[in-house]
Amino acid sequence: MNTHIQNKKSIKKFLLTLLLFIFIFQISNLKSNEVFAQQITLSISPPLTEAVIKPGKSILVAYTVSNIGDPVVLSSGVRPFVPQGQFGDLIVEEEFSGPIRFNLENSNIKLSDSFFLPTRQGQQLLLKIRVPEGTPEGDYYYTFFVKNEPGNFLEGATSSQATAVVGSNILITVTESGLVDVQGGIGQFGVIPKYQLTFLGKKFSFFESTDTIPIVLVLNNKGKNLIKPYGTIDLKGNFGERAEFDLIPQNILSQSSRMVIATPSAQLSDVQSSVNLSGFFVGKYTLNTSLNFGIGTENLTSTMSFYAIPFKVIIATFVALAIGILLVKKIGKEE
Amino acid sequence: MIAKTLLKKIFFGLVVVFYTLFLIVYATPVYAQRINSSGYTIIFPNVNFSAGNPSSAGYDLSTTVGQLAAKQFSSSGYIVKAGFQYLHSIIPFTFSISDISIDLGSLTPDTPSTATTTLTVTFGGAGQYQVTAVEVGPLTTLSGGDTIPDTSCNGGAQTCTESSAHVWTSSTAYGFGYNMSGNDIPADFVNSTYYRPFADSTAPENPVTVMSNSNITESSISTVTFKANVSNIQPAGSYQTVIKFVATPSF
Repeated sequence: MNTHIQNKKSIKKFLLTLLLFIFIFQISNLKSNEVFAQQITLSISPPLTEAVIKPGKSILVAYTVSNIGDPVVLSSGVRPFVPQGQFGDLIVEEEFSGPIRFNLENSNIKLSDSFFLPTRQGQQLLLKIRVPEGTPEGDYYYTFFVKNEPGNFLEGATSSQATAVVGSNILITVTESGLVDVQGGIGQFGVIPKYQLTFLGKKFSFFESTDTIPIVLVLNNKGKNLIKPYGTIDLKGNFGERAEFDLIPQNILSQSSRMVIATPSAQLSDVQSSVNLSGFFVGKYTLNTSLNFGIGTENLTSTMSFYAIPFKVIIATFVALAIGILLVKKIGKEE
Repeated sequence: MIAKTLLKKIFFGLVVVFYTLFLIVYATPVYAQRINSSGYTIIFPNVNFSAGNPSSAGYDLSTTVGQLAAKQFSSSGYIVKAGFQYLHSIIPFTFSISDISIDLGSLTPDTPSTATTTLTVTFGGAGQYQVTAVEVGPLTTLSGGDTIPDTSCNGGAQTCTESSAHVWTSSTAYGFGYNMSGNDIPADFVNSTYYRPFADSTAPENPVTVMSNSNITESSISTVTFKANVSNIQPAGSYQTVIKFVATPSF
């Protein structure tokens, strides 16, 4: 009798647990049926392709496009771009132009065709770049991109659809002989001064000793082809202090200027300057840059100087002295 | 006692079956990738098994199969360099939009309506990146007859443009625009009351930079707040447009 009651209790317990499991399963199922916002996350690799090509030749570049967001319908394309400003910005043009020819070598996907990419999957796109015979020598800049197709608009509401376009730049130098046109120059080399004084027509830059000193080096390219700078920015103090910063060989596109970045031990600056100096500076400092645009090119140099004065220390010393004198006088009077 | 043991066994059996089924239903399948061309099919591409500097008396070739690192590929008539030549990054350039459907709902005259989406850029390169934005025409009804114009913010001294944000707080200042907050955004978005109109590609206007950075970017996140405000003479209808966000690494 006792065993029978125990069995009944166990069956009850079991049934209750089973019901609980079914309930949890249903809840989780309901949750999975909720409507979520569509998220787009796309990556492209390589981010940059540089090619030096003879007219009449073609190359094949393999791009990997990955979808880390929701399943998405994508399409690819190529558009020319033009550099903007001195900080490496660019504008991708709306229409295709130029003599270079592009097509995808994938058997099932063509440029501007739509293709589906499920979540956490990649698609390799084989871009063929062909330089037709007779293409004028010079540089041609393009962006290869993939974009999601805009979804359906919401009915009965004011809405906008966002399209994500992720691009990778292609820098093409067309040359018959392999020789490129190097016409680089130093456009600006100096510091962004906190205080400036003009005396007898000369400008003097001043900083407080604890200030961060931003150095700017802008290089111009007046040639037909892109160039890369190789060199250093050197700092010399009047007490024998020395520091050297290597220039990163970033591309300076044809007929443009770029503020190049210098790096000590691969640490990049965090403001829009070539390099930032931080520390405690006192006295006169001389900055020198020495660079070229590759083997066999002319070495360019430029020099400037700035002054660092410990204003804060001087003011603090005067305030301390003034307080000290006042205290001594007060104590003297009291005595 | 025997029944209790049996029930325990059934219970554990059911649990095992339940979880096995759960795993089968929800596990993401993994497939080998394929590269196809009219002339060939390669299964399992991008296998980075070969890297180095093979050389002989006739040639010196530097290769990395799969292009995960920047190396120089050369042949007669061309030289190709893939990736940034001064930095070997394994972080691909990635761009994300948290919600591509921006719902401003039913607009009520003199009552601004807002919606947000988040932009995220991940980039291991040392070059700059930028994200530009442009609208494919102003908010327009499906018939194309009526539009909500782009905002000029509060107007007067507080007039904003495509490249300069200004205060937009007046409920009688109408139009469509956006505010930005977060990382790497233009400095003119001083706070959440500052707005700009989108550049209009049909005007035609050039896309405007809304995010940019010159540093090694692990993850830069910004929020775009879309805002629309209409007057009581705005014709009723569903107004729509497409906003194109273009993310590109620098050169």
